[in-house]
Amino acid sequence: MLHITDCQISADDWLIALPNIAIASGELCVITGPSGIGKSTLLHWLLGDVVQHVNISGTISLNNVQLNSLKIEQRRIGLLMQDVLLFPHLNVLDNICFALPADGGMWGTKNPTKHQRKAQALAMLESIDMAHLAHHTSEQLSGGERSRVGLIRALANEPQALLMDEPFSALDPKTSAQVSEWAFHHLRSKGVPSIMVSHDINAIPAHAQHLDLAQYYRRI
Amino acid sequence: MATTLRRLAFYSSGLLVMCIAGLPVIGLTLGLWPPVELSWHDVSRFVEYNGLTTSILNSLFLSLAAPVIAWYVAFLVYSQYRFSPAWQSLEKRLSPLLSLPHLAVALGLVYLFSSGGLLWNSIAVPEWLSLPRKSLLTMMLALTIKEVPFFLLIFGALGRQLPIKSWLLQGRALGHSEAASWWLLVFPALLKQSRLALLAAMAYCLSVLDISLLVGPNIPQLYAVVLYHWQTGFSAIEQSQAFIANLVLLLLLGVLVAAIYLHEWLAVKRIHYHGVMAHRLKMASLGRLFSYWLVSFSVLSIAILVTFFLWSVGWNSQSHISSADLSFTLWQAEWFFMQTPLFNSLVIGLISSGVGVGVSLLALELQQQKQTYLPDYLWLMAILLPQLSMVYGWQIAHTAFSGGYGMSWVVLAHVPFTFAYSYLVLRGPFQSIDRRYELLAASFGFSYWQRWWLIRFRLLSPALLSAFAIAFSVSMAQYISTLMIGAGRVVTITTEAVAIASGNEQGITAVYILVQAVLPFMVFLIASILAHRLRGSVNVTYH
Amino acid sequence: MMWQIFSLLGLTSRSLPVLPRHVLIVLMFYVGFASAVNAQQATASQVQWQQILKQAQGQTVYFYAWGGAKPVNDYLRWASKEIASRYKIRLQHVKVADITEALSRLKAEDGGKSAIDLLWVNGENFSYLKEQNLLLGELNSRIPNTSLLANEQLPLDSDFGVPIDGFEVPWGVGQFNLIARSEVFNEATVTPSTLLAAAKQYPGRISYPRPPEFHGTTFLKQLLVALTHSDKRLYAPVTDAAQTELLPVLWAYLEQLHPLTWQQGKAFPSSNTEQLGLFQQNQLVMAVSFNPNQLFKEQSANKIPQSAQRLVFSLGAITNSHNLAIPKGAQSPEAAMVVIDFLLSEFAQTQKLTGEWGDPAVIKALVDEAATLPAQQELHSSWQQVIEALWQQRYGA
Repeated sequence: MLHITDCQISADDWLIALPNIAIASGELCVITGPSGIGKSTLLHWLLGDVVQHVNISGTISLNNVQLNSLKIEQRRIGLLMQDVLLFPHLNVLDNICFALPADGGMWGTKNPTKHQRKAQALAMLESIDMAHLAHHTSEQLSGGERSRVGLIRALANEPQALLMDEPFSALDPKTSAQVSEWAFHHLRSKGVPSIMVSHDINAIPAHAQHLDLAQYYRRI
Repeated sequence: MATTLRRLAFYSSGLLVMCIAGLPVIGLTLGLWPPVELSWHDVSRFVEYNGLTTSILNSLFLSLAAPVIAWYVAFLVYSQYRFSPAWQSLEKRLSPLLSLPHLAVALGLVYLFSSGGLLWNSIAVPEWLSLPRKSLLTMMLALTIKEVPFFLLIFGALGRQLPIKSWLLQGRALGHSEAASWWLLVFPALLKQSRLALLAAMAYCLSVLDISLLVGPNIPQLYAVVLYHWQTGFSAIEQSQAFIANLVLLLLLGVLVAAIYLHEWLAVKRIHYHGVMAHRLKMASLGRLFSYWLVSFSVLSIAILVTFFLWSVGWNSQSHISSADLSFTLWQAEWFFMQTPLFNSLVIGLISSGVGVGVSLLALELQQQKQTYLPDYLWLMAILLPQLSMVYGWQIAHTAFSGGYGMSWVVLAHVPFTFAYSYLVLRGPFQSIDRRYELLAASFGFSYWQRWWLIRFRLLSPALLSAFAIAFSVSMAQYISTLMIGAGRVVTITTEAVAIASGNEQGITAVYILVQAVLPFMVFLIASILAHRLRGSVNVTYH
Repeated sequence: MMWQIFSLLGLTSRSLPVLPRHVLIVLMFYVGFASAVNAQQATASQVQWQQILKQAQGQTVYFYAWGGAKPVNDYLRWASKEIASRYKIRLQHVKVADITEALSRLKAEDGGKSAIDLLWVNGENFSYLKEQNLLLGELNSRIPNTSLLANEQLPLDSDFGVPIDGFEVPWGVGQFNLIARSEVFNEATVTPSTLLAAAKQYPGRISYPRPPEFHGTTFLKQLLVALTHSDKRLYAPVTDAAQTELLPVLWAYLEQLHPLTWQQGKAFPSSNTEQLGLFQQNQLVMAVSFNPNQLFKEQSANKIPQSAQRLVFSLGAITNSHNLAIPKGAQSPEAAMVVIDFLLSEFAQTQKLTGEWGDPAVIKALVDEAATLPAQQELHSSWQQVIEALWQQRYGA
């Protein structure tokens, strides 16, 4: 369960006071709004990154743990960006291995060997029928493939919540629809609360919460 | 407690960086001063020196034109080869010319292409087409040819961190040709990021002595030669002239720095104008010419190497190909005496370039953490300041501390140079790394230093290899500092080679120049092969 | 000892035969007496020398010397081997591209402990070191083999006009000569007019090293001597009057010569070695050298045509010595003296003369008057600076 309370985004001459948000396991919240209003910045703030250009205040809590004072690496929140940013010096399999928790996580063996980690990563690729791409590099993948690998990599880390910044908007409409449907399904089944920033109001799944920042915008 | 420790670590590493980067300034402050007080008479004598203005203008022109031309050639070559399958072989083929000393390239060029030279003798070519033995043109050609691979190496390291492919894609999507997209989108970024390399090349051209003596014009002489004569004349008059000349040299460096910014501003402004007005870029079609570069470059490298090899086996202008009794006696006789110098060079080169690369990484990291970058030229003092005075200052300090003549002192004397060169290679790539990679790694639970090591360091490793190779070749090329601090106790292949080359004896000079080039050649080659293995962020693409 | 007496009396070996007989008898008596006194001194100095030899054992001598000539480097390798086996001294040749690098070190050390034990030096560099009091003195009285020096036959007392005074020891002799293709000059000597004629016949193929390179300056001195018929004032400190009277003839000559030289005088070779290279490649028909045996060495190495010939200026070759000096702060001065002693020995001087290097000997036993080129006295050192400065003023830009 991800809670965001008393959240305010402010700049010199405007302010957005968000309603309190609660996102349950497997639930998706889509944030929309005109560009420049601070959608992506909000995600970076949730992630724990340094926020530039605007001020954001509020309380974040995840499974009843308050996150505000924690560093990025302690929050256990995943991030999926439009540029998937697979690490270029690693192949697909190693990208996933990189994200696997050091202690083996919930599903794997405790303190796995390198071999076991690779097997685990390969199993995850197999589950989405992409095992044949294991030894490819980022540049050898198509856009859709890259997005899928990106999501698998994010999930491999077993995040407590997932943030997505227009994750599928670079794909052509048909692929985008396919991949996003696949992704939402996957997220629901894993029970990860997720927030997605999107500029496309028509692409909001029926089951998702929707938060339009423009509604709460006011000039000061 | 932890904060105190961290702060302590921060400041002590800052101190270390400052010490290394500041050594050149210390050297110059100790070594610059004339033994006698200066009078206006000295100044007027300096100003009245016959041909001084021409010397200065020639030197200034040379050190502006040669690097800038080399930069543009390298840019065009890079644009032709970057996404062609030949890129990898190009990077490897750069190694021989990168590792040959500048002097060798000049010698080879003059020997091959001047009248009476090898080629011009064997095929009858009109006199006016041949390369003058001594002229600004010859000098400029030699320097330009030698600097092109240097810039290509720098671009190679930079290009891995820049999303060039997607820039080009966007440019073409907006209706520009690929060649025009290179100019409109890639050119400004590369120009800015390789500013330090350009500055280093300019400073080198301004102060280089051996090539100036060999192929530079000498009526009047280039400024570096005039300065050298004063500096090595020990009369009070000459010393005061040398002092003023060194100050003028610093001034000229200031002019070069200003010229770099001015050129950048003008060039980028012009490009933006074309971009905004959507004019067709006429010069864009020029690029195709440079797709022949790899072939001609390889032929030239081989021709120079073959020339040197022939010299080293006793071939000279008296021999005829048929009757030449080529022999390896020189090689056999010298090999025994070359082993220790080679070994010393290797050890000093590996340690000093390792330290140099390490310290420049540290310098970049500290600036990154502080979020403030000091002006570029502060870091490049070792390259910019007048070397003879600077090393003389070190020698005074070294003598005052009664320092020994061991290898560690020589390494210390090399580190400011290896540091400066690796800094100039690494700065662009270090700053261009997409920080979102580290952000992602943070979201996966990796701490700051884990991210640094697993992401930043790995992404940088191809650039680190280039930096190491350049630093190694710079350490290998050190003559004055090795001789002055090592005092003949530490003999390197370069102290031998430079002394021997001063006698212009073809055979033995060729042997030593070839041997001198072997170690850097191997390091460059290994670095380019490893860089492809490690990949780094090669071909970054954004969607 | 004997030569000192002769020169005290204003005599030279050449004027000896014309002395009246009774003077000679007196003289010989005096010499006999002197050598008896010498015998005692000799034993004392022999003891001293034995001590030096003993102290020198195990020391290393760092010998700073120009490293640009393979024959010299090879000779020093040979000497190192000999010295190691004879005296248990390690001779380490520190090759430098320019001996000023050694001077710069001595300057930085400022008379203190020095990293240099021995250096190869002459001319203005010696003059500077002597003036700055950076050299060990009294080498002549300390090193036994200095008694072998051929002071009568060769000008070994001063170095470019600066008295040596025991601060350096002559090692070899340079005599300025030209090397030319056989068809260029018809006679064995060169005069300014035959040189000009040759330049007209071979336009663009004659040149000289750019002053202040010292071969180039010497070339100008040779011309000046010839053009002024060896005016006496050239051997005394420069005066304004001498300058204004003597130099214009040189400049007038160069005005004629330069348009006919290599690249029409718009460029000159940077050094004698560069000029030799151009000669080898047949770009020039003439080279300059200070080594009278250079021609034969180049020919035997088949680097120049077998027909090439050696020439000197008709009034004689400017002759000077190149020398060995020990810095005051040297760490192994004893061993350095032993090395000098060895290098002056007949054995080492023979090897130097007859070996690859071919540098003329400086000791009496080996000075071959027949092989020595007719010598021309070196100009007073003050002329050098004047010539160089005015040349730069007129032709340097």
